Amino acid sequence: MSDVDFQQLVDQQYAPLYRFALTLAKSEADAADLTQQAFFLWASKGHQLRDRSKAKSWLFTTLYREFLGRRRHEVRFPKIELDEVPEEEMSISPNLNALDSPGVLQALREVEEPFRAPLTMFYLEQFSYQEIANMLEVPIGTVMSRLSRGKALLRQRLLSKAEALGNKVVSFQSNKGEESHGQS
Amino acid sequence: MDNREAKFFLNAYRPGGQDANDPRFAEALNQARCDPTLQRWFDESVAFDAAITEKLCAVPVPRDLRESILAGVKVSRRLRWPKPFIRWAIAAMLVLSAILGSLIWHKTGPTHLAGWQSEALEVMSSLVRNRSTFDAQSRNPTELLAWLHKNDAPAAQRLPENLERLESLGCKTFPWNGIPVSVICFMRPDGGLVHLVTTRASAGVEPAIKGKADVVQRGGWSTVTWREGDKIYMLALEGSPDQLRAYL
Repeated sequence: MSDVDFQQLVDQQYAPLYRFALTLAKSEADAADLTQQAFFLWASKGHQLRDRSKAKSWLFTTLYREFLGRRRHEVRFPKIELDEVPEEEMSISPNLNALDSPGVLQALREVEEPFRAPLTMFYLEQFSYQEIANMLEVPIGTVMSRLSRGKALLRQRLLSKAEALGNKVVSFQSNKGEESHGQS
Repeated sequence: MDNREAKFFLNAYRPGGQDANDPRFAEALNQARCDPTLQRWFDESVAFDAAITEKLCAVPVPRDLRESILAGVKVSRRLRWPKPFIRWAIAAMLVLSAILGSLIWHKTGPTHLAGWQSEALEVMSSLVRNRSTFDAQSRNPTELLAWLHKNDAPAAQRLPENLERLESLGCKTFPWNGIPVSVICFMRPDGGLVHLVTTRASAGVEPAIKGKADVVQRGGWSTVTWREGDKIYMLALEGSPDQLRAYL
């Protein structure tokens, strides 16, 4: 890859990669370091990738693996069941207008890591569930499950923040009892 | 498929509409069209997702990150060893260094190294044994210092005199408990390596500092730590205290 091509790749991807790293890492410095490391690895190993259209996925996957490698099995993935997320709270949404970007970012960082990575890939770069499954090397069903649970957890965190700020939450979903069921 | 299942699928539906033709969503989408309650949930879910995406994409990125990436890769490329046999020579030297280190392995009493120092020894061991790579490589340590300064990593303004005359191999940075640490590896005339670790003085690293004359041994490593200004330095090599003192 020529210097010009590399620079273009950096220009296109460094910001979303950094934001992805920011949701994983403990600090902005760590996030910047992870981002740099992903590009350094691309500079030394990227030529092995035959399909250049997959450079973006390669960078996200590499950054995520680098993060996991650094974490060194310190934290085991917490197991959180969907049933633990109260149905009532899943049916209401925080007033996002009341929250700024740092607030939303902070809420996302508070979501447990197994859910955070697919959520961030979904929101930041709008990767499909199939692409996320490939990058995280987990089955499609697991990705869908983590997106579903992760969104519920994110709403919880956002609600807490909105309530702490004294903002009212906006209910946009009927109560559980009103929920209808379609055909099986 | 009931609404709970439909929601499970639709949670993976991207707000940009890219998944409209994905057959996996077809049944859930069709169900939403037929069920106003589900449709309302879906519309609001998509709106929520779009709002989250918008907020996250507005998170600021450090102004110097782009330049830092480009400069870092540039220096790594420029300083890459030009000929294959030099790489082999370096690899052989690293192996020799590891063997020498093992041969003069000292079992010592209680060690007095703080967490960041232990972490630095692990990083150096990893580099010596080729299990990790340098962030930047150069035989000229001044270039490595410049690279570290440019990347806002802890680095001396000037190297100790006895290190300045040595050729370097490369440098690496790593965080310890949020505190940035850097390592520069030098080639000793006897074929071994000597490493200069630098970090910034802070509460987390202060307690481990001893006088410059106090050599602490751990495993096959000899280390000495001292403070100058706002920086803390640790010089380390796999070898005896006498070998280390030659570079103080």
